[in-house]
Amino acid sequence: MIRIEREAWRVMVDHALACFPKECCGIMIGAVDGDTRTASQAVPCANVYEGDQKDRFQLDPKDQVAAERKARQLGLNVLGFFHSHPNEDAYFSATDLKNSWPWYSNVVVSIRDGRFSGAKSFIASEDQASAAPEELHYYDSES
Amino acid sequence: MIKILIPTPLRQYTGHKDTVEVAGATVGEALGTLTTKFPDLRRNLFNEQGALRSFVNVYLNDEDIRYLGKDSTALRPGDTLTIVPSIAGGSHAG
Repeated sequence: MIRIEREAWRVMVDHALACFPKECCGIMIGAVDGDTRTASQAVPCANVYEGDQKDRFQLDPKDQVAAERKARQLGLNVLGFFHSHPNEDAYFSATDLKNSWPWYSNVVVSIRDGRFSGAKSFIASEDQASAAPEELHYYDSES
Repeated sequence: MIKILIPTPLRQYTGHKDTVEVAGATVGEALGTLTTKFPDLRRNLFNEQGALRSFVNVYLNDEDIRYLGKDSTALRPGDTLTIVPSIAGGSHAG
């Protein structure tokens, strides 16, 4: 289960809205306690995919290096990544699966016509053959 | 010594260590020492030809080793290598 704190969630949705109709991407930082992950920070990143970004994203590894350092300084972990699906549902596509890593939480935010339209989280299997839905809690769903 | 920062998904192969210190004069030597110490890491970092997998990035301090001297990039004591997963995707079906 991943729980995203209010400020981190706001950063994620704001980034997804600001990038619409292109895909956004970013990094989630937080704590791991058994099977529960709590994302206290979200880092909005540039989408560096060279091509049409309406349905593709790529993280800049330099942003990941910076996030890894930041997480370690705070005694936290990089929990995973988020990206948006403009005018598409929040599913984990074959492209997402192929370009993911196991263990990490992958939160997909659906934006339709410039408005938030749902989110889901997924974790890829060790062999990247499939991805399982991960229970996701964010502020709006708890209010 | 060279510090190697291990990303969370690979810590299961390093006895849950998040950082491993190794000796090595080049990136190749340091990663070789790392994978000798933790053999299960090898298939996650290198392909069958022994080259770094395309979805694995290695940064020496702030630079991608692919834009330096790759495996033969020289290291100095106190350098930090960070193993960075390549992450991409999107709603594109193909």
